Amino acid sequence: MHQEEKQNSEQTEEGLLYTYNRELFYHFDKEKGFSREIDYQVPANQTIIRQSWDAAEQRLDEVRSLIRAGKRSPIAYYMEKTLMEIPILADYMEMGKWRIRRHMKPKGFKKLKPEILEKYASIFGISVDALKNPEL
Amino acid sequence: MEPKKTIINYTHRQAGHCESGTTSNLLNFYGHKLSEPMAFGIGNGLFFSYIPFLQVQFAPMITFRNFPNVVFHRSAKYLGIDATVVKKIKDPKEAMDALDRNLEKGIPTGMQVGVFNLTFFPPEYRMYYNMHNLVCYGKEGNLYHISDTVLEDTQVISYDDLLRVRYAKGAFAPNGKMYWINSVPKELDIRAGVISGIKKTVYEMIKIPFPLVGVRGLRWMARDLKKWPRKHGYDKAAFYLGQIIRMNEDVGTGGAGFRFIYGAFLKEAGELFNHAELLETSEMMGKTSNQWREFSYLGARNCKSRSKPVEDYNMLGDMLLKIASMEESVYKKLDKIKI
Repeated sequence: MHQEEKQNSEQTEEGLLYTYNRELFYHFDKEKGFSREIDYQVPANQTIIRQSWDAAEQRLDEVRSLIRAGKRSPIAYYMEKTLMEIPILADYMEMGKWRIRRHMKPKGFKKLKPEILEKYASIFGISVDALKNPEL
Repeated sequence: MEPKKTIINYTHRQAGHCESGTTSNLLNFYGHKLSEPMAFGIGNGLFFSYIPFLQVQFAPMITFRNFPNVVFHRSAKYLGIDATVVKKIKDPKEAMDALDRNLEKGIPTGMQVGVFNLTFFPPEYRMYYNMHNLVCYGKEGNLYHISDTVLEDTQVISYDDLLRVRYAKGAFAPNGKMYWINSVPKELDIRAGVISGIKKTVYEMIKIPFPLVGVRGLRWMARDLKKWPRKHGYDKAAFYLGQIIRMNEDVGTGGAGFRFIYGAFLKEAGELFNHAELLETSEMMGKTSNQWREFSYLGARNCKSRSKPVEDYNMLGDMLLKIASMEESVYKKLDKIKI
């Protein structure tokens, strides 16, 4: 996800990060009235989009250090990596949020049955092995 | 064997907002030239709500648009169009079969989707956001032809991918929602639609007796904005401020953009009915939307620079309060106008 995003974006002199697609914008001018224009997002907006990706990256780093400290299970890592939150993951898993929270701790993760592990793996789009041994 | 091919002759046009664009394109297919701003205004896409106690994507929930499917549903209702909206289909396979049946009958079908797994969507927007709309107008073997108003060109998507985005989970999950037009009357009563549309928007923006929606919600947010740096610290305040701008300018569907589209709607309606007062309000709305764009620009600059004095947030809050009064005067004026 993140790599794909970086491939499609490039840093140019004007500071345009995202040049994947041009969008339609409306403008207003006192003399000319309303007009439509197809263009890339202006640099100011691109900064703001960048900000939310940076925040996601930062959350991922926090989870990495928690896993290394033995406080979180790989499920927490893959949840952040796929930009999910607990309610969304609970929806996909068709489970209560409290169960997801339990699986996010190493102790709860160890007790997981193979079929639940498989379900997690299919939602994250990875193999069960990769789920058990994440490359942080 | 040649794969089965059904492609409807559907014109794709890019639009500022996904749902009004979809509605306008669908109506265009049935031979009515209704522009995007008109669809947006009649279907009252304009809205504001700020819900600080609900966290969406790690920031308070802020929305500048109406709930998903309101634009299509209301413009169909106010213009007297016979349309079908299927809100929820439990079985994903049945949802895809229903789409296939529609395509075979030659009906382009609109759908609500989540953007995270949408393969052709700009990567920078692919977050968990479920309020996107697109139209499917053809099938070729395993591939569906899609017209997405955010993108410049039409796209194709495979069966599995389309199924996945139609059953994305999270807030406002699409649940396979789909909608289409059955038949359109020969003459559309645009005047009645515009009157109902404006009335409803004015109601939603200034008359709902609840402090977190409409102009009152905007004022509430402006006051909160001033408190954020002291309450949450600079980093979080910057992220929240970014969320306001993200909601108001991007997520792929336009935002302060919405105010521009509404202004364009008022202008078009004013020209159609030759109504001086409507034209005046459109100019007021245009000025307001330019203020919104200015706010986005200043806010983005504030987020970028790492030193964030409290005065900046105070200034931005005051600016929002000013925008709120400007918007309020537009709605109050619209309330009194007789069309």
